[in-house]
Amino acid sequence: MPLDEDAVAAIYREHGPMLRRVVWRATSDANRVDDIVQEVILRVWRQAPDTDNLRAYLITTARHLIVDQHRAAGRRPQQAQLVDIAERDSALDRALDQVLVEEALGRLQSNHREIVRCLYYERLTVAETAERVGVPEGTVKSRAYYAVRNLRAVLDEMGVTR
Amino acid sequence: MTTGSDERHVMLGAYVLGGLSDEEHSAFSEHLRTCGRCQAELGQVSGLPRLLDLAAPEGGPFLTSAVGGDAAPRERATKEENVVRLLDEVGRRRRHRRRWLSAVAAAVAAVLFAGGAWLGPQLFSSSPPAPPTTHVAAAPVAGSGVRVDLALVTRGWGTQIDIDCEDMPTQGELALWVVDRSGRAVTAASWHATPGGYSRVTGATALPPSQIRSLEVRTDTGQVLASART
Repeated sequence: MPLDEDAVAAIYREHGPMLRRVVWRATSDANRVDDIVQEVILRVWRQAPDTDNLRAYLITTARHLIVDQHRAAGRRPQQAQLVDIAERDSALDRALDQVLVEEALGRLQSNHREIVRCLYYERLTVAETAERVGVPEGTVKSRAYYAVRNLRAVLDEMGVTR
Repeated sequence: MTTGSDERHVMLGAYVLGGLSDEEHSAFSEHLRTCGRCQAELGQVSGLPRLLDLAAPEGGPFLTSAVGGDAAPRERATKEENVVRLLDEVGRRRRHRRRWLSAVAAAVAAVLFAGGAWLGPQLFSSSPPAPPTTHVAAAPVAGSGVRVDLALVTRGWGTQIDIDCEDMPTQGELALWVVDRSGRAVTAASWHATPGGYSRVTGATALPPSQIRSLEVRTDTGQVLASART
């Protein structure tokens, strides 16, 4: 039984912005973003999935839609080389995972995100990070610990399991 | 300075992300050999660096700019507009579905009516084959806005009743009662109300469709919400 209008609107309000960012950055086609996001939510409306992880369900649905459209757009009249399709799909999967990781970083608490940026992306040491951020080294370590745990939890919630 | 055991566990974060001094790194590696808890946690998060590497240099827009993603400004302007557009589409698809259901019900009713006019008088001499499925729209009683579609499916053991209802109460238990030709009522299905007010359930009764006089959807206090006569 499809969901009611209130449920659909609530899903859109809660997950729409995330979906739009993911779809926009994965497809780089501003004209299709709204259509794809709408179609994702309509599918979920129709299927009314019994899931405790709606976010992952939405993202998986979006992934399928994007992959399908991508394939349809890229279908050539001559025999398509299987290798090409596999390569293109895995490139697309990587692009989607990239977007999801960036999205996950965006969902971290800002003081945790800051620690990930310093330690991982800027390759600073714990001591340098402590100085940069202006907190004791012990705080950097404990923030790093919780940042890593939360990041894993957010990614799990998005269905990024690798 | 003593290093408490919690402090050592906590080094897991910087161990995964990088940034520990050489001494800390070897101290934690040593600790890891004997600490089951840290081994288990490391197993869960050891894939993170590979995922972090996927993000654009500097970790993407969330690490480089303080607010929002790149699609943010347009999104704010059109968000409610999009909700309206989405709900229009939901309404359109739902009406389409409902039209289809009503069309089926109307067609079945027309066939039953024509069949009844023809076959009614001869019912007792030679029974016509029972129609396999009859759709019935249960009429809401005064004051209740529920929408109930019932499909009676003839089975060897009796009747399967597919119940499709919308705009139902959102709390309490609901039940489908079947009344036979002698006026006896039995429950054919019961279910919990859903927050969305939608349910699709299947009930069963030993009565064949021809023996069902009416069907009623009732609340657990016995209040009739909708009823249908066959």
